[in-house]
Amino acid sequence: MATALHDRVGLGWRPELAAGILSHLDRIDVVEVIADDWFDAPRKKRRALTTLAAQVPITLHGVALGPASCSPVETRRVDRMARLVNEVEPECWSEHLAFVRAGGIEIGHLAAPPRTIETVEATHRNLATAARIVGALPQIENIATLIDPPGSALPEPAWLRDIVLGSGCDLLLDLHNVHANTLNFGHDPHAFLHALPLDRVAAIHLAGGKWIGPEGRERLLDDHLHDVPDPVFALLEDVAAHTARPLTVILERDGEYPKMEDLLLQLDRARAALAAGRTRRAAQPV
Amino acid sequence: MSARLEAFLARLYVDAEARTHFLADPIAAAQQAHLDPDEIAAVEKIDRLGLQMAATSFARKRHAKGDERRGAK
Repeated sequence: MATALHDRVGLGWRPELAAGILSHLDRIDVVEVIADDWFDAPRKKRRALTTLAAQVPITLHGVALGPASCSPVETRRVDRMARLVNEVEPECWSEHLAFVRAGGIEIGHLAAPPRTIETVEATHRNLATAARIVGALPQIENIATLIDPPGSALPEPAWLRDIVLGSGCDLLLDLHNVHANTLNFGHDPHAFLHALPLDRVAAIHLAGGKWIGPEGRERLLDDHLHDVPDPVFALLEDVAAHTARPLTVILERDGEYPKMEDLLLQLDRARAALAAGRTRRAAQPV
Repeated sequence: MSARLEAFLARLYVDAEARTHFLADPIAAAQQAHLDPDEIAAVEKIDRLGLQMAATSFARKRHAKGDERRGAK
């Protein structure tokens, strides 16, 4: 089922997909669970998560910590992640390079901070705090943004690179976010990839989106409600061709669910892209 | 760039009235928020289309979460 180099392909856990996931574990190598959905779950429900972890490798994915911020992370939020990590013993945990609150205001989703040396250094501090409390470094994920953050002095790949190399964290590289941001702000997606420290990519997200906005000025929204588009599979092949590390690839779908078989076919397509990338890499002169 | 700028952006994302006020006079709004000169210069040139799109997207996410919480009760 897995491709060479122990690459793995899996799916994000959603209640609507639960039955399909559990009956197709032979085609799913790993499951990613949204940690925040479980922080306040009753013990019986959390025990079900531990049972799932005994059947398939799971990772915990946080969505509301907001470590890419000049403000310190709220340690009570990190404590909740630490408790869940301790209870469930996932393979790893992850969070987003975003801010989600500031000045007492909850934004309600992931916002891109200005890409500056100050936000790089503040993110390093927040990730160190989180790692100390949880007991392990998180994988950190690049986010999609509909707005080019004002006051940004660094291009996105350089900002991501500085955060990854200075924090010691591995990168959870969301390829649809790369696709959306480069389309929306006029950059080449493959050049973007090649400016990243690809040897630090441990995991990958795949998703789909839709075009929104006024005619002639549309932007791609990363809504997780559509199939993975062809260019994102091409980016996956490119990553696999340029790193020796095994990759864990997760398909994210948050709604407008197709038949389970359609999702599984997208996982197979990811496996094919990984295999093609690995073949390209093996054919490169030493 | 500072926590003040992040707070200013957060308010623009969630507060339609603050956003309208800002778009009418970005410099005045930024000065009222005590941003420093570099931050004021940055927000004066803000990606206006992106700001509106992001604010709309964030509002949908907040409402969806509210609906989820109400459904869970």
